[in-house]
Amino acid sequence: MEFVTQSLVIGLTEHAPLVLAAIGFALLYRLTGLINVAYSETITLGAYFGMWANTSFGLDFYTVLIPAGLLAGLVSVATYLAIFRPAKRRNVGGLEMIIISFGLSILLRHGLQFVFGYPVRFFDVPAPDTIFVLDVGVTSFRLLAVASVAVLSLLLYLFIQRSRYGLQIRALASDENLAQVSGIRPLAVTTMIWFIAGVAGGVAGAFYGVGSSVAPLLGWRQFLFILLVVLVGGTWGFGGVIVIGVITGVALAAMALTFGQVLYAQLALIVAFMVILKVRRNRLTETAKV
Amino acid sequence: MLDAFLIAGLFEVVMVAGLALLLHLQLGLTRIANFGLVGFWGLGMYAFGVLYIQVDLPFGEPWQFLVCAAFGALVAGLAGLLVGWLIADLDTDGMLVGTLGFASAVLILATTEDDLTGGARGLGGLGFPYDIGSVKDNEFLWLVIATLVVSAIIAFVWRVHRSPYGRLLIAVGGNEPLARSLGKATFRTKIWLFALTSAAMGFLGAMYAVFVRTLETANLGVDITLAVMVGLVLGGSARVWGAVVGTFLSVGLFDIVIQFYLPLPREWYTQAIPVLREAVFGLTLILVLLFRPLGVLGDMRRDTLMGKIHGR
Repeated sequence: MEFVTQSLVIGLTEHAPLVLAAIGFALLYRLTGLINVAYSETITLGAYFGMWANTSFGLDFYTVLIPAGLLAGLVSVATYLAIFRPAKRRNVGGLEMIIISFGLSILLRHGLQFVFGYPVRFFDVPAPDTIFVLDVGVTSFRLLAVASVAVLSLLLYLFIQRSRYGLQIRALASDENLAQVSGIRPLAVTTMIWFIAGVAGGVAGAFYGVGSSVAPLLGWRQFLFILLVVLVGGTWGFGGVIVIGVITGVALAAMALTFGQVLYAQLALIVAFMVILKVRRNRLTETAKV
Repeated sequence: MLDAFLIAGLFEVVMVAGLALLLHLQLGLTRIANFGLVGFWGLGMYAFGVLYIQVDLPFGEPWQFLVCAAFGALVAGLAGLLVGWLIADLDTDGMLVGTLGFASAVLILATTEDDLTGGARGLGGLGFPYDIGSVKDNEFLWLVIATLVVSAIIAFVWRVHRSPYGRLLIAVGGNEPLARSLGKATFRTKIWLFALTSAAMGFLGAMYAVFVRTLETANLGVDITLAVMVGLVLGGSARVWGAVVGTFLSVGLFDIVIQFYLPLPREWYTQAIPVLREAVFGLTLILVLLFRPLGVLGDMRRDTLMGKIHGR
């Protein structure tokens, strides 16, 4: 019983940012059909922007989530307008698009070191309080992460599924020409998708950063798991991404407790997801390319 | 005789060019998106190193090297067979996940199984399979041997381009359903090509292990995949010589020209230049694919020829 509660609490609190990041990534993937490797740097930059706002202006951690999210969202939009939109207009193929995003990921990951410096950076925040949930000690930052991830996920879900803009986004994703005929402006809607995805990634990054340290590889370390969660969970829509993301977090925590080694847990998870992908042999349903 | 640093720089170029030629067969011709190239190269490197160091083999050099390197190639080839089977019928997204996941798995295993691999401490004690004098002489000879091996790969790729097998690969890469409808076993073709090229990557990994003499998990990061991809894309992923030309223009520029011939302040070389190198490589990928997708050398010779004949 203790093992179950520990896995649940640690899994949910430690890996809550994974769910948020996966939702942002899934938004881009399902609605624009693009695997954006540079999304990992959106996460990294969120952590750096948060750390910068925190250490330069003395904002507390809860306040820095706002600039971290907004700035990461703006970077995300900028990459769309400067790189992915021109690439799409030039009819760059799917594989080449991934290589471009891979190049962008590398460029941002190393370029940011010229802005923020080479050494690993840290948030300057008072030590978080430890709160006991089901007899498992959890820091207040992680609890906040769970709460905000839950709220943000719900908001995003409602926004996509219920709101007028969400309808426009989905219309654009399924048939661009038809959507245009019905008066939807693709540029505005697509920009909005990239912005929201960037905000989700940036906030997730700030949570990752405050939990440990802020380093150039922060987002890249999570990327494979985000990708796996979205590819496996994505076929059931955003709900599926959230569910698979939560399961992944709990499974990682449970296996890390069992093996006493986080890396084995990651390895087992990679293998498990690969088997699922192979068994489903999914040529994922063609989503529209916005 | 060459400067010791220059030998190291040239060896890096030769190594990346060899890997880029193999990636050309996978990605350029057959369109198998391998983003985890470092996994196959690194697996060969570590399989070689572990057998070489941890097992007492009953024969001396050069047989010890040859047997261990063959083992490295075999292990990498088997991994290629497995990963190839896993991804050959998936779309590009699935291939990305499969190959990235494999590369991560190799890195994780090299770190956790430190009884065998030395883990984060590294695995030292590797050496050249001969001794002709100073370390520099040995390294120079190894550079010559590596150049010969990569030349053999060039010759092979050149042959492939002019053979029915090469046309089959191009057909599979260009339009797989069409190739299958014409009775070609596309799935099997992809798997075997992937296994063969992975084995060759493993062999190059073993050769790299001999040159650096210590295996470190830091080698298993994304750097080598990036360098190889930049070399291939910059030179031209559709052409035989693209990988070689591209590698000289990218890795050669940074690891030889900037390292030795530019009078830059010493302290830049510890952090600024390596970080700049990666950033420029990333930018190169973006710019080339946006503005000259077929790289410096451009379209396949046969396509240019057909274009001329048919007036396209």
